[in-house]
Amino acid sequence: MNVNGFCRIVSKKLPQQFAYKRIVTFSTKPAQQQQEATVSTPTLPNNNTPAARKPIVPGHYRFVYPEFLPDPKVQWRNTVREKLERLDMLARRGQVDLPEFYVGSILAVTSSDPHAAGKTSRFVGICIHRERCGLRARFILRNVIDHQGMEVLYELYDPTIQKVEVLRLEKRLDDSLFYLRDALPEFSTFDENMEAEHLEEGAPVPVNDIKVVLRPRPWLERWERQNLLGVANIEQYIKDKHRKSAAKVQKPWEKYDLMKQYRATIPEEEQKEIFAEVHTELHTLELQRKRNKRKRSFIKPKQLA
Amino acid sequence: MLRTVIGDLARLRLSSSSSSNSCVLVTQVREKGHLSRPRLRNPHWFLRKERSQTDDYVTAENRNFVKEVVHETYGSPALIKGVQTYEQKLIRTPIEKPSVDAEPWTPKVRRCGVIARKIGQYPLWLKNGERVRTTLLQIVDNHVIKYTPPEEYQPSHRPSVHNLHKYGCLLVGAESTNPALLTKEYCGIFRDSGVMPKKNVARFIVSPQAALAPGTPLNVGHFRVGEFVDVRGKTVDHGFQGVVKRHGFKGMPASHGVTKTHRRAGNIGGGGEKGRVWPGTKMPGHMGNRWRISKGLRIWRINTKYNVMWVQGSAVPGSTNGLIYIYDTILPLRKPKEAPPFPTLYEDDAAALPEDIWYDQVHDFKDETITYKPE
Repeated sequence: MNVNGFCRIVSKKLPQQFAYKRIVTFSTKPAQQQQEATVSTPTLPNNNTPAARKPIVPGHYRFVYPEFLPDPKVQWRNTVREKLERLDMLARRGQVDLPEFYVGSILAVTSSDPHAAGKTSRFVGICIHRERCGLRARFILRNVIDHQGMEVLYELYDPTIQKVEVLRLEKRLDDSLFYLRDALPEFSTFDENMEAEHLEEGAPVPVNDIKVVLRPRPWLERWERQNLLGVANIEQYIKDKHRKSAAKVQKPWEKYDLMKQYRATIPEEEQKEIFAEVHTELHTLELQRKRNKRKRSFIKPKQLA
Repeated sequence: MLRTVIGDLARLRLSSSSSSNSCVLVTQVREKGHLSRPRLRNPHWFLRKERSQTDDYVTAENRNFVKEVVHETYGSPALIKGVQTYEQKLIRTPIEKPSVDAEPWTPKVRRCGVIARKIGQYPLWLKNGERVRTTLLQIVDNHVIKYTPPEEYQPSHRPSVHNLHKYGCLLVGAESTNPALLTKEYCGIFRDSGVMPKKNVARFIVSPQAALAPGTPLNVGHFRVGEFVDVRGKTVDHGFQGVVKRHGFKGMPASHGVTKTHRRAGNIGGGGEKGRVWPGTKMPGHMGNRWRISKGLRIWRINTKYNVMWVQGSAVPGSTNGLIYIYDTILPLRKPKEAPPFPTLYEDDAAALPEDIWYDQVHDFKDETITYKPE
């Protein structure tokens, strides 16, 4: 999270440095070499494009566009399939603006719905889960409406999605917030007519360190086993036997298991290759989004009297 | 055989009755050869493929020389349509297309199939907003190797094809490979075709009018969007499995006094007159690793750049990157009404196809967002 912020700052700063260096009137060759040395672009031999012309892919792309990284399971991988899938994803992104968001962000999704009154429906809620990759990427929004908890599962690349607005861009302390289902309703209640809160350009995504208060047992899952950071009162409801069984299923050695980590992730070199392929399109889409945002903020003055 | 013996005996009696003092000479003919002849022979292309890889004492220069010879005779390695293969020089010779007045397609004709790999699966959406799960099949570097006309095609393993005597057999190979890795006999299959030796070979039973000249490349243009195909593949090997995984039995409760029978089948038969285990009873056993055909899968989309087609469903037999065979469907109601590319779509016609072909019900990702009209 902080690392991500750092990455963004670095990625913002790096081009500036190079821009400065490129202005120098004498031979630019050593400067280019230096640039290659500092930014560790993949040095794989590629016949199609010379190494110097490779775009510099910002480090935060793997957090902003996680679904562009394929499933790391080796048995299911195929380069041709992944390439075709990425092309389809970019084609869809050319039609609808799918902004950066994280688990814990508050979104409003407008989608076509044949059963809704105006044939469109808008749902506001907190993103409690984000999973899968490629065209299968999906997320769950949760809100409490009329004292009734509601959850909607959206597929990110579903062509019936008309608009995805990020009303509040932030993260939470945990990777998925399913415990909101067992929390008091005020923790997952969000105003439907909430207005979008704009973050400053280049600012790191804030982490909301709110601690959620759970209802008493019975719960949907054994939260005490999951080492949750965003829950305040787990200790209040569990007994010694729960504590003991939770300690039994802990696997504290797994964080040292390098092979497990390796199998569960796409290697960095491959990530760079993948993002180098889609970088130009994503970058143009980002620029377009920025332009639109500026236009929107300019047009919309606050109400007069 | 029996008749000849009887005939011999009859002649013997006749000759003995007519002239009693003449000696009888019977040449014994042992005609039992046809009884011990092996009935089931493997087809001629069932040969040992891989050469035993011995540690030859070959210098690096000689090894490079062998490589050079391979590249000179067949072409240098190249990535063609997303498949690692060779720039094949030999098959660049013009393949004679059938003349215009060749026999046209009829609904009863059997066309050739193709060899493909299952490369993964992902959803597509229809224009009405419905989501369909699709499997991607890539046709990998297919070339026709040999055609056997119906008169000569008498297989010892008779495939269960109605009126087999009317059909010929097309041998198709997929995925060119370095012939230095293969046995001499196996490479011999490809000698007359002008095609580089292939990793995989399959036979397709075709009507004589659908025959193809050896060396003809097969591509995804052989099929059209919206039509139906049958896909044959070997299912994933699960090994010896219990009844819960193999047949979807429910098992028994985890508690409430159940001991030692949580994933067991329970009763397997009744008593009395039916007091035995009936044939076909679902029991534990080996699961997977069988040839299966999923029939009548619609082709939703075709990509001619990578020779890929998107086929209905995520239950195509076999694992990802596994080999499969694609045929025109045999389901009577899903057979094409109009003529498909016949006998196949030749390379120069295939070059005219657009890169991405979508079935008209499928939503193109480049199109605008789906909206519904208010009534």
